[in-house]
Amino acid sequence: MKRLWTLAPLLLVAAFVLAACATPAAPPAEAPAVKDFVTWYQYDQDNVDPASDERVGNEYLRQTMPLFNTAFAGKWNWVNQPKAFDKMAAEIVAAVQAGGDVPDLFEMGSGDLNQYYQNGTMQNLRGWAEQQSWWKDLDPSAVAACTGPDGGLYCVPLSSRPHLVYVWADRFPNGYPRTPEAFMAEAERLKGEGLYAITFFGSTAFDGEGTSRAIWTTVASFGGSFDDGQGRMKLDTPENIAAISFLREIVAKGYAPEIAFAGGFQEEEAFKDASAGSFPTGLFGYRYVNPLVAPDGTAYSKGNEQDMLDAIAAGDVILSSFIAAPGKQPGCGIEVNGMAMPVGAKNPDAAYDYINWLMTPEQNGVFVLGPGGGFPALLTTAQTDAFQTPFYKEAAKALSQSQCRSWYGTLNRVKEAQSLIMKTVYRLIKEDPSLDIATELQKAQNEYNAGS
Amino acid sequence: MQRMIARRRERGWFRDTLPFWLILPTIIVLLAVQVYPAIYTVWLSLHERVPTGWNWVGINNFTRLFNMGLFNESMGHTLIFLVGYAGLTMILGFFIAQLLNRRLRLSGFYITLLFIPWIIADIIVGIVFRLLVVPDYGLFSGILQNATLLGPNGISVLTTSRPPALFGAFPFPPAPAMIYLILASAWRALPFITLLMLAAMQTVPNEIIESARIDGASGAQITRRIMIPIMLPTMVVALFSLTLSGMNGVGMVFSLTGGGPGTATEVLSYLLYSIGWRQLNFGRAAALAMLIAVVNWLLISGTLRLTRVQERSI
Amino acid sequence: MSSIPFLSRKQSESILANLLILLVCLFAMIPIATTVLISFKGERDIIRKPPIIFPCDTPTQSFDLSACRWATEGYERVIAARPSATSPLGFAITGRLIRTYIPNTLIYASVSSLLVVLLAGMSGYAFSRYRFRGHGALMTGILAITGVPLLTNLLALYQMGTTLRKANLPFYDDRFLIIFVYIGFYLPLSVWIAKGFFDAIPKELEDAALIDGCSPLGALLRIIMPLALPGMMAVFLLTFVNVWNEFIAGYLLVINNAHKPAMFGIYEFLGQNIINLQVLAAACIIIAAPMVILFLFTRRSFFRAMVEGAIKG
Repeated sequence: MKRLWTLAPLLLVAAFVLAACATPAAPPAEAPAVKDFVTWYQYDQDNVDPASDERVGNEYLRQTMPLFNTAFAGKWNWVNQPKAFDKMAAEIVAAVQAGGDVPDLFEMGSGDLNQYYQNGTMQNLRGWAEQQSWWKDLDPSAVAACTGPDGGLYCVPLSSRPHLVYVWADRFPNGYPRTPEAFMAEAERLKGEGLYAITFFGSTAFDGEGTSRAIWTTVASFGGSFDDGQGRMKLDTPENIAAISFLREIVAKGYAPEIAFAGGFQEEEAFKDASAGSFPTGLFGYRYVNPLVAPDGTAYSKGNEQDMLDAIAAGDVILSSFIAAPGKQPGCGIEVNGMAMPVGAKNPDAAYDYINWLMTPEQNGVFVLGPGGGFPALLTTAQTDAFQTPFYKEAAKALSQSQCRSWYGTLNRVKEAQSLIMKTVYRLIKEDPSLDIATELQKAQNEYNAGS
Repeated sequence: MQRMIARRRERGWFRDTLPFWLILPTIIVLLAVQVYPAIYTVWLSLHERVPTGWNWVGINNFTRLFNMGLFNESMGHTLIFLVGYAGLTMILGFFIAQLLNRRLRLSGFYITLLFIPWIIADIIVGIVFRLLVVPDYGLFSGILQNATLLGPNGISVLTTSRPPALFGAFPFPPAPAMIYLILASAWRALPFITLLMLAAMQTVPNEIIESARIDGASGAQITRRIMIPIMLPTMVVALFSLTLSGMNGVGMVFSLTGGGPGTATEVLSYLLYSIGWRQLNFGRAAALAMLIAVVNWLLISGTLRLTRVQERSI
Repeated sequence: MSSIPFLSRKQSESILANLLILLVCLFAMIPIATTVLISFKGERDIIRKPPIIFPCDTPTQSFDLSACRWATEGYERVIAARPSATSPLGFAITGRLIRTYIPNTLIYASVSSLLVVLLAGMSGYAFSRYRFRGHGALMTGILAITGVPLLTNLLALYQMGTTLRKANLPFYDDRFLIIFVYIGFYLPLSVWIAKGFFDAIPKELEDAALIDGCSPLGALLRIIMPLALPGMMAVFLLTFVNVWNEFIAGYLLVINNAHKPAMFGIYEFLGQNIINLQVLAAACIIIAAPMVILFLFTRRSFFRAMVEGAIKG
């Protein structure tokens, strides 16, 4: 009897297995003429959860996949395989190295380009792209961001995502400060009201993702850079030291909330409830930062990207360039979002058709307004009405004052550099503000350069 | 008669080779899933990926690791984590086992309750513990960040930096996040260790304890002079199993702290994950894996030796 | 403590012990209890600063039982029930965690545990009953090979998976690979546990069966196996729980999203937003619940497996 009891769960499990196996697993076979065209996005067309983090991208795929499949009916059948946002890079590299099942195209950010290049993951598309009608219409800086160290074109740019500052207008009645000095004065005033002047990606999470965000924005706005222009890391410069001292002061005086250092993008929370007055991040941030509550209590609670757009249209949120050191131009990071073709793609013809389809001004616009979250890579698209909204006008105004470039410059081992820089900066501004900035920067650059 | 002999011989052959046939499937599976990947890892550790393929770099991956500031620092973090995690779990486990060993009426109920944490996946335990201390929003944060209770700014587990190091570069005292990570890991490992201790305690013959008690020995004396010596081999095994799991577990760090704040919880296993699967530097990750493997082997051989000592002593 | 009147020393000690252990249990349950609590909160109580423990406060009172705002939106989003005309219940569960990932894991966990029991039983028996050349070395080797960290081994396994997929074997898909890999992961420890259990069964029983004319295999099946059943059950459960909780191999080695395991499902909710805390908590509970229930039914075998595994391995 007792043994029977121990067997009961086993039987239960077996029953479950049988039940699960009974459900048909294989999809009905496709007609032979239609070939599958496979993409990897970090979005998932089957995820209908209206509060999912990637709801914008999910919705985009849900809308456009039928359009493409109709346009190429009888020829291609677009199949998207969703990948987790922080695992896709590892998987595509592993898949290419193993000669395994790679997609025909995958979505990538130019920040990952060097990493993919080093692992021999992508195909050079330059030869083909230059023959296409949209080539001349591309924003040259976007093309530059997709260009690998050997001059090859490794992604077709779809949107540029510059970084700027989201600001609650009511928190800065005199406008967002332009100089470090003015900023500190405003920050002190806000602190007196129990508020924070700024929140930013301050943690070392995601292997130093913060390097590419606020850290770079600050360094660039102080006239600094991370490389010497020859592929070697150079951190120990007066400009960089000034930028880091600025951040150090913000942290030491409590002008930034503690949640800025919690990781997991949770620094956004302080901006959502307006407890922090400004938030330097990517232009695409509007997609994730919602719902919002303005300083005057106005709630933007649709829970999607529309919230931030509404707040901007209402004038509650303004976009600005970052604070710049005296005599310097505000700087910012820029990332280009595009499609890359992995080595070993099975159906390149479909991929070419897809890119050509995506590079029509109309589809480019739809993409950029959806998951692209930036400025269109096609200059024609940028002229269309969809990009003359208050949000884009604000953004263009803010960006016209700043000079954007990618943070890694000529550095080749981008992820290694990113992690090393963020950990060093974190130590200097948060963990141990008594450390000598120059010494620590020197140490980090030596470690990186020893490997090249 | 002859047929019987033949049958016997047949049986003899089968009987002689039976263990081989029984073990063969296991060996085949292990060769494919464990041995081959291990050899591949050795090969990887001597190569570096360049756009055109794999380059032989000899021990370069290893020297680069040793020159990496974070590698050296993370050895310190690993040591602190292991000592804290194993020590805390052992001590608590021993005391809880002693309580349970009184054969309380509700022992079964208690054991069942206490045991639940162990069956929850480490990633989920990490998420759960993180939920509790998210700055400003977590349930514990409300208490810990309360400035009137704790220090000038309160403690935010996920972001408060570690105090100034006391011994040069060695990261001691640890950050609150490290202590919290140790607590969370101990929370999950505790049931297992408690049970182990309880099992060992129950091998101590009751008569010995009773006679010691009649001779006037106090509870503490009985524990120190009788219980611990008999339990020692099991305790050593428990200790090794703790260090081994602490050395290799990455799920908890991954979902609880992500190595932060800063580098405060960057243990070797997490460094391996981040070099390999985030920076995609498989060669150097393999080199680190080999170093971790060496430590693991030392631990395993230690366990085996001590287990044998135990078997002999019984 | 013996000074408490009307109670003998033994009684008061027992009360004290009970109290202490209750306290320990309470502490052990706090994280689980709070997660359950979070999972039943609504979004507006999740984003409160400072946080509140119970969503039961009113503007005037800090706790009012009748004002509690318990919500199930976390579970609703995980389960994602949508009206459906075809379903007999009138609605269909569209949450993939429940529809796809948990059933997948159920298959992986049960199939690989069954096979591990079979293989570990066979070789554990051989190691326990026979002495042959290389016996000790093989036993040590089986354990030592687990010392190489899994994270880099995955690369080789990934490559293996790719080669197998390319070979276009009939009926083959990733599910076979992942089950095979899980067997390999958890076999070494299981072999050691199984050997321990067989060691505990007296050899005389078997000898008697052999003298009575049983074949060695017959003796194994008819005499030893029934006696070893609790031990094998323990091996089964240990493997089952381990497979259930495994994340990274299942994530990387299974290519087809329809075949991914339960832990992968967590990713759908592991977003960056505080407002999703209740959903994440609900997902965690849904994934962990089957294990807890399985454990409650089988805890005796479980405890045996744990102790055996640790002392012998």
